[in-house]
Amino acid sequence: MYTASKAAVATLVLALVAAASVRAQGVNGSITATATVQSPITVAGAQNLAFGNVFPGVAKTVAYSDATNGGHFDVTGQASTPVTYSFALPTNLTSSGNNLPIGSWTGYVNGANSTSGGSAITPSATPAGASLSAGGTLFFFVGATVTPANNLPAGSYTGTVTLTVSY
Amino acid sequence: MRGLRYAFVLTATAFMPLAGQRPLTVTGIQSLTFGTLLPGMPSVVSRTDAVKSGRFDLGGPHDTQGQVTFTLPSVLTGPAGATLPLSFGGSDAGYSQSQNIGSQVGFDPNQPFLITFSGQGRGSIFLGGTARPAPIQRAGSYTGTITLNLTAFP
Repeated sequence: MYTASKAAVATLVLALVAAASVRAQGVNGSITATATVQSPITVAGAQNLAFGNVFPGVAKTVAYSDATNGGHFDVTGQASTPVTYSFALPTNLTSSGNNLPIGSWTGYVNGANSTSGGSAITPSATPAGASLSAGGTLFFFVGATVTPANNLPAGSYTGTVTLTVSY
Repeated sequence: MRGLRYAFVLTATAFMPLAGQRPLTVTGIQSLTFGTLLPGMPSVVSRTDAVKSGRFDLGGPHDTQGQVTFTLPSVLTGPAGATLPLSFGGSDAGYSQSQNIGSQVGFDPNQPFLITFSGQGRGSIFLGGTARPAPIQRAGSYTGTITLNLTAFP
């Protein structure tokens, strides 16, 4: 009886040990989740392309480097990041249904707000590449030529130049 | 004495299923990568995206079952403590017994999921998710940790 009890206790103890050893086991492992958020691109029309007074039959050109009359766009975005840009350019300035032809577009792109140290460009609808500066800026300068007809009616002529920039 | 011998037999029997089988393992294989995001524009990574989805490889006793749970972050953390909301939908996780990303059984990573190890004692978990940068989200790199917990029952 005594031997049988001892055996029973031993069995119980060992069974408990065994039970503990087969209890649910757990392990784990990890990975990372990552994302990089870029600064959004902003494009601001900083200065209009202004031809001032023009006369019928006399063409007038404003250079992109004309600090007062040249057109300027200021762009901001992710520093040192390549972008693609394109222009939507008018072929005429208009006034009450009358057209003043505009063309011979010239331009300049620079990471700094200057018409030196950058690159000359020909503004067009064809996408081209540039890169934002280390400070996340890019500046575009635009010039063009208007060619008033000899019989162009007097008036105030306007058109819209649109610059589109994307990553 | 005969009783003691019987007890040893019982104990040995209890240990037997663990002998000679693959140990339980979880290995983080691939990060869940959202890539480049723009403020205000959510980005979804599918669990079937071989390049961007997260992946864990599991090991355990062949043909046995285990329970998978995740510890999922609700945000990624970025520059100066900025946070980027992260969410996981009802089918953003997938289990593949064959470890083939093309043959997964989808499940909700927010709930426990029962898996069965392959005949070789393997399996893989794939994970997708959605990152939702705010319109004024600060630029920079964001990271978070995803942990998979695997529990097996002999």
